[in-house]
Amino acid sequence: MTELERELRALRVDWPRTPDVASRLELRPRRRLLVPALVVAAIVAVAAAFAVPQSRSAILRLFHLPGVTVERVGTLPAAEERPLAAGLGDKIDDARARALLGGPFLPAAHGTLYKRDGIVSTLLRGPVLLSEFGAPEFLKKFATSNVEWVEVAPNVQGLWIAGAPHVVFFPGASPRLAGNVLVFATGTRTFRLEGHGLTRDDALATARELLGTSAG
Amino acid sequence: MGAVEGRPLEERELVRRARRGDEHAFEELVRIHQETAFRVAYLIAGSEAEDAVQEGVLKAWRALRRFRPEAPFRPWLLRIVANEARNRRRSMGRRAALALRAEREDVSGGAAPSPETTVVAAEERTRLLEALDALPDDSRLALACRYLLELDEAETAAALGVRRGTVKSRVSRALDRLRESYD
Repeated sequence: MTELERELRALRVDWPRTPDVASRLELRPRRRLLVPALVVAAIVAVAAAFAVPQSRSAILRLFHLPGVTVERVGTLPAAEERPLAAGLGDKIDDARARALLGGPFLPAAHGTLYKRDGIVSTLLRGPVLLSEFGAPEFLKKFATSNVEWVEVAPNVQGLWIAGAPHVVFFPGASPRLAGNVLVFATGTRTFRLEGHGLTRDDALATARELLGTSAG
Repeated sequence: MGAVEGRPLEERELVRRARRGDEHAFEELVRIHQETAFRVAYLIAGSEAEDAVQEGVLKAWRALRRFRPEAPFRPWLLRIVANEARNRRRSMGRRAALALRAEREDVSGGAAPSPETTVVAAEERTRLLEALDALPDDSRLALACRYLLELDEAETAAALGVRRGTVKSRVSRALDRLRESYD
């Protein structure tokens, strides 16, 4: 070994902290990537360019929430299966989240926050992915055979999407298969909860806790 | 050194279980190798490293049936993660690599060198790292894998996405380049 090689080997680099990927894995039985499910979900920044799924079949029904459109289709576009925590964007602090959302991220006690375009996300126990964004900034699209209106709170309607995988489009990210989702909107903010094992009751309970925090 | 001798056997058992669908065994395999995988991804894709590792690991899980159980697991995982990192770097459309920084020297305890010696040594290390950072991506990655991460040839080949036989010549050329700029 030469002197230069010895010097290289003796270098001690200040590496970034290694994320604990193993503990965050969501492994399910191996299966095909494309499943004949019937849901397409999209969150799209109005100003952001994004690829409209070309293989999308005829729209069967539309649902609307502030900043959100849900489309029911017959065939899913191609999508990847990825962990919930993948592609959430850059880590941000509470002040940055507040500036983006026009108010504090809810709940006040939360884990690491991430930002991709105007969407702020964190992982809750479960794991459940909670994403929040200012409704006026976004158009959100879904298509599904299994979408149901739910009353999250008085005057707060939500959409519960479950029973089959669907495809979600986040700004700046390639489409991915998503689990069960509850999406609802208050006057200024849209919330999205997603988890593969997420039940309707648990999603509603979490949503009501968030709104309770908001009211308090 | 029972722990050292026992590790490959334990890993083979984890691989065997993971291939049969044991999620916990696979998670344990990931836990063993995630630091190296993350650092390789960091060298290639910088701030996208975390996502690259997560997606690479998920792809490895899906492809596990195609993995030959008698082969070493780490090069196989590194190849998948490095490919994912390269895809992300390409989609970013710019050089993703971030500058490496030297770890701060802990001079407490032991027979500490004189302050002057410590300062000179730290400056030399910083200069060497800067020279390494300034190399073309392929050369930088080859040397970082071989000497900073201390990967063997098979693992370095996996990280570089080249055949094992190419590693020696690439490392040799990279050392020549580094010597020219550092000396």
